[in-house]
Amino acid sequence: MEKVKRRHFRKSVLLFLGICGTIPLVSGCWDRVEINDLAIVTAAAIEKKEDNQIELSIQVFIPKSLSSGGGQGGPGGGGGVPTTLVRSEKGSNISDALSKLQSKIPRKIFWGQCKVFVFGEKVAKEGIKEHLDFLLRHPQPRERAYVYVSKGKAKPILESLPPLETYSGEVMRELTDLHIGMRVTLQNLDEMLTGKSHAAALPLIDILPPGKGEKKLQGIPYIVGAAVLNKDKMTGTMTEKETRGILWLRDEIESYTVTLKPKGEKGEISLNPVSAQVKLVPQIQNKKWKLLVKVNTEGSVIQNGTNMILSSPKALKDAERSYQKEIEKRIEMAFLRTQNKKADIIGLGRDFYRKYPKQFNKIENHWNEIFEEIEVEIDVVAHIRRQGYIDKPAGLPEKEVKDK
Amino acid sequence: MEKGKISSLQMAVMMYPTIVATAILGIPSVTAKFAKTDFWLSPILASLMGYVTVYIAYKLHKLYPEQTVIQFSEHIIGRLAGKIIGFIFLFFYIQITGIIIKEYAEFVVDSFLINTPIIVIMGTMTVLCAFVVQGGLEGIGRAAQLFVPLFIFPLLIAIILVFPDFEFKNIFPILGDGIMPPIKGSIVPGGWFTEFFLMTFFLPFLADKKKGMKYGMLTVFAVMITLVVVNLVVLFVLGTTTQTKVYPLMNVARYISFGEFFEHMESIVMAIWVVGAFVKISVFYYATVLGTAQWLNLSDYRLVIWPLGILMIVFGFWSMPNSMDLERFNLETFPIYAVLIQTIIPLSLLVIAAIRKRKSKRNSKGINSG
Repeated sequence: MEKVKRRHFRKSVLLFLGICGTIPLVSGCWDRVEINDLAIVTAAAIEKKEDNQIELSIQVFIPKSLSSGGGQGGPGGGGGVPTTLVRSEKGSNISDALSKLQSKIPRKIFWGQCKVFVFGEKVAKEGIKEHLDFLLRHPQPRERAYVYVSKGKAKPILESLPPLETYSGEVMRELTDLHIGMRVTLQNLDEMLTGKSHAAALPLIDILPPGKGEKKLQGIPYIVGAAVLNKDKMTGTMTEKETRGILWLRDEIESYTVTLKPKGEKGEISLNPVSAQVKLVPQIQNKKWKLLVKVNTEGSVIQNGTNMILSSPKALKDAERSYQKEIEKRIEMAFLRTQNKKADIIGLGRDFYRKYPKQFNKIENHWNEIFEEIEVEIDVVAHIRRQGYIDKPAGLPEKEVKDK
Repeated sequence: MEKGKISSLQMAVMMYPTIVATAILGIPSVTAKFAKTDFWLSPILASLMGYVTVYIAYKLHKLYPEQTVIQFSEHIIGRLAGKIIGFIFLFFYIQITGIIIKEYAEFVVDSFLINTPIIVIMGTMTVLCAFVVQGGLEGIGRAAQLFVPLFIFPLLIAIILVFPDFEFKNIFPILGDGIMPPIKGSIVPGGWFTEFFLMTFFLPFLADKKKGMKYGMLTVFAVMITLVVVNLVVLFVLGTTTQTKVYPLMNVARYISFGEFFEHMESIVMAIWVVGAFVKISVFYYATVLGTAQWLNLSDYRLVIWPLGILMIVFGFWSMPNSMDLERFNLETFPIYAVLIQTIIPLSLLVIAAIRKRKSKRNSKGINSG
């Protein structure tokens, strides 16, 4: 009896010691990270400086600002306290600059929440390859983060204090999510550059100057067009209107307004929302490379400034025809503009490769030359589906309505 | 020596993560290096290797139903030669287990526990697996039954959540450069499929021996389907960039953004990885330990668990000083090495055994008639 008891006691002591022994192992001391030891980066900008150096600027979120600003200040108080700070440092590359930046920030820099990367115009012109390598290799930055090119310097974009959103990184992200301009994530950029077309387009941003009565820094960044990258170097820009045309070709149309002028009418008709299915059909006929763009689009009338009443079939047909012409015109213009830029930012190379892999492999090295020569044929089917809450044009006497 | 019995279903759930666990994480990119956009076809071709290996393992088991490869190789080609073959097998399994442990730890350190010394991660996993092996074959079988759902379920969740980001057009052109690239791409996953030879260590302990072959083949099929699905998901999300990534499945999980709030899902991949690696290492560990004990004619295999654990960790460090070496090993060495040890040697054993059987039958017939 005594022996069994003693053995039982010894066993429980051993078990107890064993459990105590494993505790230091399960806590994971080495990689313990407290949230208040982290400097959460919300946006980052990379710029070129003199003598082959770059400048890395990061926008860091200040957690204190939320607790002090929101609690007492009420609705008016929030604007006074900035929620982010911007620090920058020069270095030979991003990681060099980053290590210097760390010495200026008392918390560990954390990239996991960074959703916005801005390349300065100069750096984009010299090539973004080596910077991209850091962003893709480092385990923290997200593939889903958005990438931009700034018109001029990039740092002021981070420094601006937008009146509506909490910080400028958020402004850019929200604007991009509205699908007005281009939306390019790190993953998309990587895919475009390594893909068959060797070209990419990034949204181009600029600062909207502050309005009257607003403080100096209160201008917000907004998307003004697109930067065209050939290989990894920026070679040109596209205006906002051209960028919209590119969006049609890339089938990324969302929340879009089309304004058209029916033939022989005075005013204009606007359509919104407009939805579209775009199909690019590559064709090789008699060694001639051709592109057939098939568009199927529909929209609802949101404003009618003409005298037409759209419930009459003929007027509707007229409007639809001019809608179709308008879309055709836009797409053609955008396509010609990209051909002029000599960069296949639509990703046509990929489309041709998918359909004609053998033929494409033969010409892959001089794809850009072939791209310039491609003939385009546009086939648009356009319909107006709804007319909103009124059928006749507003504020028009009965007699003047054209009821054909 | 091993008194436990497992069902053939348990054997199947043990073998499934043994192949899939490490194959879904890094292999898509390795395959994509050769096969470009056709890398989802490669597992189908590679699975042929699995069917062949299972067939060989089962036929050998039929000839010697109560023995593992370490024991019956002595019967087939004589005591000395058999011992040498046994040593080659054990050396292979000790080294490969070490490399798997290193591979597991390398990924954990690379993406999550950046400051943790790698020896701690390797050590804790080895200790855990040693305890499971100490529990015997039944213990591993039950643990696998418990954990495999935890392996499959998060994988399905990740695939569903990433669905909105699928770019189905990435699959084209199918066979744009002919059939050769996917065949070249299938060589590497083929090495993984030969790991089915580990079945020889479990077949003697099956409670329902008749179903061994059926469940083995079913497992190969399940592994093939899983790899094809994972490769397709990776292709649909990453497209042509797959071949540049070291852990493409990780990039896919990070890309998840479902309804703006389901984001940062890399912990799913981590869960899959830890659970899968645990089962995989346990299975390899057990086979090594059992084989060593049989090779040394020990009465109990539990004696060699701890010494072999230390040896495996050391082998992990020796074989793979850095993660670039690991990538190159998986790409260049492992496919040939694994096929040689786990398919070609067993195949020659089977051929010799079959010839001998026929000869002895003829001899005995001759004696009877004479």
